[in-house]
This record gives sequence, C-alpha cells and structure tokens, in this order.
Amino acid sequence: MLRSQRTEALYALLFLAPFLVHLGVFFVFAFVRTLGFSFTDKTLIGQSYQIVGFANFVQLFQDPRFIAALTHSISFMLIVTLLQTFLALSMAAILNQRLRGITFFRTVYYIPSVLSSAAVTVIAIWFFQKTGFLNTFVGWIGSLAPVLLTFLVIFALAQALQVGWERMRGLPVALTDPALATISLAVGLALTWLLVALGAVVPREAQPPEFTWLTNSDRFLGVPIPLWSIIMLNTFTTIPTLMLIFLAGLQDIPKSIYEAAAIDGASPLQQFFSVTVPMLRPVTFLVITLSLIGTLQMFDQVALMGDAAPLDSIIVLAYYVYNNVFSGEGRVGLASAAAIILAALTFAIVLLQRALGISEKAH
Amino acid sequence: MAAQVIKPVRKLDERHLARQRWARAAWIYGAMLALAVFFIGPFYVAYLGSLKDNPLEWPFRYSFAQTQPKNWAAAWRLGQLGAGNPWTGGFAPGARIPFQVSYFVEEGQEPQTPMVTVPTRRAGAGLGAIFDEVQAAQYARVSEVQEVGRRSALVGGQPGQIVTYGFTITYEGQGPKAARLPLDIEAPRGQMYHSATLDPNRLERRGRVASWDSAAPGFLGYTFRNYVRVFNEARDPNTGASFFLRWTLNTFLVSLAVVLTTLLFASLAGYALARMYFPGKNYLFAFVVFTMTVPAQAIFISNYLVLRDLGLLGSLWGMVVWSAVGAGAVFIMKQFFESIPREIEEAALIDGASPITTFFRIIIPMATPALGALTILTFQGMWNEFFKAAVVLSGQQTNYTLPLGLSFFRSAYGVAGDWGLMLASAFLSMIPIIILFVVFQRYFVEGVSTSALKG
Repeated sequence: MLRSQRTEALYALLFLAPFLVHLGVFFVFAFVRTLGFSFTDKTLIGQSYQIVGFANFVQLFQDPRFIAALTHSISFMLIVTLLQTFLALSMAAILNQRLRGITFFRTVYYIPSVLSSAAVTVIAIWFFQKTGFLNTFVGWIGSLAPVLLTFLVIFALAQALQVGWERMRGLPVALTDPALATISLAVGLALTWLLVALGAVVPREAQPPEFTWLTNSDRFLGVPIPLWSIIMLNTFTTIPTLMLIFLAGLQDIPKSIYEAAAIDGASPLQQFFSVTVPMLRPVTFLVITLSLIGTLQMFDQVALMGDAAPLDSIIVLAYYVYNNVFSGEGRVGLASAAAIILAALTFAIVLLQRALGISEKAH
Repeated sequence: MAAQVIKPVRKLDERHLARQRWARAAWIYGAMLALAVFFIGPFYVAYLGSLKDNPLEWPFRYSFAQTQPKNWAAAWRLGQLGAGNPWTGGFAPGARIPFQVSYFVEEGQEPQTPMVTVPTRRAGAGLGAIFDEVQAAQYARVSEVQEVGRRSALVGGQPGQIVTYGFTITYEGQGPKAARLPLDIEAPRGQMYHSATLDPNRLERRGRVASWDSAAPGFLGYTFRNYVRVFNEARDPNTGASFFLRWTLNTFLVSLAVVLTTLLFASLAGYALARMYFPGKNYLFAFVVFTMTVPAQAIFISNYLVLRDLGLLGSLWGMVVWSAVGAGAVFIMKQFFESIPREIEEAALIDGASPITTFFRIIIPMATPALGALTILTFQGMWNEFFKAAVVLSGQQTNYTLPLGLSFFRSAYGVAGDWGLMLASAFLSMIPIIILFVVFQRYFVEGVSTSALKG
C-alpha cells in the first residue's frame, strides 16, 4: 500500500469512526448479545443465568401466545403486502397523467403517511369503535343501498343504450367511452333523484350499529377481526408511500413504448398488462420487499391498542418480544429467542429476494 | 373471388376525439377528488369528533353546537362578561352574566319556573380529577329566575308555547378567579328544553336537565373545549405542570439533538464511503445496507441493557444516544456525495488542504440541499418515534415524548371513554409535522421516491 493511500485510509477511518462505533454497539454487539441470550435463561431482574441450549426455542413453540403472534405476523405481512401493492399500483396508474394540479393531489394523498403512527392509531381506535365513524359509514351505505343500486342500474342501461346506438351508426366507441359515460352519469343522477322524489325508491331506515371491530372474537379467513382492523389501518397509511415509488417508476417508462403499442392497436388495459406491468417489475419487487420487511416490524399499532382489543387477537412477533421483556420478571432469554426468529424471518425474505436474482439496484 | 360485404367502419373524427379527451380528464379529476376524500376524510370526521362533547354519539352529526356561529358569538361574549377574557373565559370578581333559557310546554299544561344551580364539579375523568381547583359554586350567586316572555309555537307537530326565562349569575365580593362556571338547569316534568343563550354541553334525563361545563367559556373554551382540556387537565400530580406542554418540549429537544448528530455523523461517514479509498469499503457498504432491513424490535434487548448500564434509562439522552446516527442517513449522504463532481475537492486537496479542512470548508457548503432533506426526514422520524421511546422512557411520565404521551393518555382516559380529549391530543401532536410538511413537501415526496428507488 502506498503511503498516501494509507493516509487516506486513516482519514476514512476517522470520518467513519462515530458511525462505526454506533453501528458496532447498537447493531453488531446488540445482535450477537441477543443471539447469546437466546440460549440462556437470563431475566431482567436476575443477576446470574445459565446456558440452557435450545430450551427457549422449544418453549416458544409450546406457547400458544407465541404461535398466535407468529401466525398473526405472517398473515399480516402477506395480506397487507398483497393489498398495498395492488392498490398502490392501481392508484399510481390513475395518477400517472400530465394534468394540471396533479402535484397538489399527490401532496394531499401523502399526508396520512407523514403523521405519527401513535396519533393515527388513536384516531383509528375511535374510528373502529362500535358507534365510531366506520360503522356509521357502513350503516349509511346500507341504508342508501336501494338508491345506489337504482343509480347503478340506470347508469349501466344508459351507457349500454348509447354505446349500442353509436355502434349502429358505425362509430367504433369503447364500452367505457368517457364522453358517453358523462352523459350516462347525468341521466343516472337525474332519474334517481326523480325516483326518490316521487317516492318510488326509498332509502332504508338507519339501524344502530351492532358490529364491533376491536372487541370481536370472530375470525375472517382465519384472521381475528381486531387484526383486520390493524390491517386496514396499516394499508391506509402506507399506500401513499408505495404509490409514490410506483409513480417514479412509471414516469421512467419511455412514452415511445406506449405509442408503439397504441399503433399496434392495444387497448389501454392491454397496454397496462403488456407494457406497464413488465417494465415495472424491478420497482414492484422493491415495493414488495419494502412492504414485507416493514410489515414484520409492525409494533406501534398493537402497543397503542392496549386494552381496546384483547391482546391475544392482535399480538404480533415484535410486540411479543417487547411484552416478554417488560412484563413480569422480564424473560430476556425467551424474548431473545423470539427476537432471533423475527430476525431470521427478515433474513429469509432478503435472501429470497437475492435468490430470485433481482437486485435492489436493478432499476 | 367472392365479394365480401364489409360493414362500413368510420373512424372517430376530431370532434369526437376532443370530446373524449375532455371527458376523460373530467373522470380522472373526479377519481382524484374521490381519493382525496378517502385519504383526508377520516381525519376530517375525527376532527369533527374532537370538537364534540360526545365524539361517540350516534347517529353521527356533521353540524352540532360547536360548529354553529351563533354559539361562537355567545361563547365569546359570555367569556368577556365572565372574566374579561373572550378566548378562554372564566369566572372572576365583578362578573355579571345574564342568561336566558327557553322551554316548550305542550298545550294544556301550565309552565313552571325551572331550577337553576351552579354545581360543584371536578374537571374531567382522568388526571384532572385529582386537583383541587377553585370552584365557581362558592362565589356565584344566581338571581331569581323570571319569565321573560312566551309565544305559541308548533314543535314536532304538537301545539303549545315556548316560554323564555331569564336570570343573572354574579360574582359576589372578592376572591380568586374560577376557570369554569358550571351550570345546571332543571325543568319540571313535561317541559322540554328548546333553546338558550348558549347551547348546553349535555342534555340529561330526556332533555329535562340541561348542563353546561361552563356558562362563561369564551370562544376557545367552548368550540375547542377538548383542546383546552388537553393542556389544563393533564398535569403532573407532583408539580402541577402541564404534561402536554412538557412532552411537546421534550419531543422538540430530542428531534433537534438527533438532527444535529445525524447531520454531522452521517455526512462524515457518507463522504468517506463515497470518496475515500480504504480496504473492504464495498463490503462495509453492503453490510450497512443490510443493517437497514433488520427490525429494531429484534435487537433492542441489548440496547436497553447498554442504556441501563450507562444510566440513560428514562432520560431523553438515552433516546438521543440510541438514535444518534442511522444507516439510512449514511446511505442518503453517500448517494448524494457520489452525485457531485470530483474536480472541486481535488483542486483543494492538491492545494495542500487536509481532508478535514476540505470536508468542512468545501464539501459541507455544497451539500446544503441533501442536508436539508436529511434534516426534514430525520426530524419527522424522531417526532413520530414510538418504539424507542417506549423502551427507553417508560415510567418517567415527565420525560415522555408526544407519541408515548398519546399512549399514556389512551390508557389514562380510555377506560372512561373520554374520546374528546384523546382525539384532541392526537390532533395537537400532529400540528408541527403538518406545518413542516406543507412548507417542505418537496423534500418529503422526493425523498421517498428517489431514496427508495435507489435503495
């Protein structure tokens, strides 16, 4: 090594020193120590401890609460990732337009994800109460169902009639022609209003809400209802971030590909599936990975729910670890074993992503 | 060759296409508006809830006492009469408050004078209840209730008359200022509350008892009653200092300190990783990227013990030390330094300046945009940090940060179902971040899409 190079390496070490010390203490040492603890029976209050081998891991898989936490974490991760990716991509596709004022809307959509999870969770718990706004809204839709249904039928009929008429005249209009749909919308609104005013269609009486979200012991698709509430909340707050990542990806797709596809006669839907989706594959992979890793870390929402929902119906791995350290005698050994399983799940996802051969920098 | 009958297919002409373009734009704006309602609507209805006396009322109302300008004006005026303070009101020596209330009496019934009392009532359900405060009941004198007028009216299809009574509440002699002037008016059986100078906070016993938290509330004290309660009711049992103000200050201090350490350490490390040569650099960088994926909840146990050994548990310094510099921040700075041209610093190095001088004199001034973005992202991250606060600060209520404080409120007020206060505190804790977001939104939006894509 040259002398100048050695000087430079020394300076680099100097520059990196604060970060490396922090990383060493709060990551490397922390990880190694957690791994070590997972094979002992250490507690938070006890002074001495012994090595117990794999006993903690055996004990974990005999603990029904841990099994619940593990299944909740995995189902939460899969459901939220699926919902988020699908909804964020659809929204990004709608918003990928060169229209006036679009940046304003993007900013507005982003608001829920800059707010603190604590504040948003408090608001969400109110939202999910028995007489909270979600049940109010569902009840409102239910009582308006006859009116909404009438409107949809009239709208569909008007659209079908118009498209049929234009095609008979030999104009190749699509079923979803936006200009005709505007007319159908006006016709639908006017006729529905008339029918309601004449009393031919009557909204139903709103009933006091019965359904509980947070204190419900039922399951839907094998997942407890309270956990579904957190799934909805988490999806709601993270969609905007993922949507922005998709948008940045969409705007990097050259316009010429779409033009070529349009010349070949591809409909907007065909263009979406044969141009957008394959071109977006690296970005989609990134979004899915971020989402999988992020959902495994979900902690705040469960912690803030507190006694609003039964713990066994919402507990996830991250909270299981925390709860074991900070309740009772503080079973550090057992919690460490659970923490190692949480870390192992994360590594598995990262490795899987590498194995599939699409690196993060593919874009 | 057989002649084929080809159906004539016309092409859409320019007029049709233009019409379609306009209609499509209209549908897209409609969809964007619907999405905006979807993302902002829940916060709007929760905000309405935070103004209500009972946020869990059913059916949900969009218009209620606190949203009506008539009550704003009355609350303002009554606050001025009560303590010369139109904003938060009160009840001070010399106060003289005229008040009117109207009842509906069905036809055939003889109206009876209602009973007016200024009750002794403690504030709130949770922490507020443990403090002894000046009670207006000790100093208030209610004049004789007199009938002011009556007119016949139809209410709910029932014929009858509306009878209006008037009375005056005065502060007799000298004494301390009371924060609130609670008021209860009980009407005899068969009479229904109709209206009053100021709409009551609650109607009890089928509308026979109308109850006010304060008859001299002031504009904020009435409309933003729950927000004022956040500051007034949640106090430290030992010192009496407002918890919420303290938590806000704590959150500011922690966020500011972490921003400073992050700016310094992350730019130093990012610069070394981007520009300097040393063995194993690429491995180190790959490792840094890898650490970003590991959940903090998987490795916090040792960090908790380290902070305990350093004596930093329950202290804001514990939060600062644990968050002093993050791998994500180093990553952002490295990306930035790689994007600026090398020539400038090389010129400086050739002139004989040491890397340290070059870094602080030349590199840092050039890095202002990246440092700005990093400041915003770090500040927002620390302002919202819940997990680390829950590990480090638990149990030390005066040292809480806002997210942990909200969770404390949730357990303190959740049992009593005091949603007004919980919602109000959630909204108050969001204000600084919303302001930051509105002013620096470019950094937020670009920070997310670019740093994530490159990561």
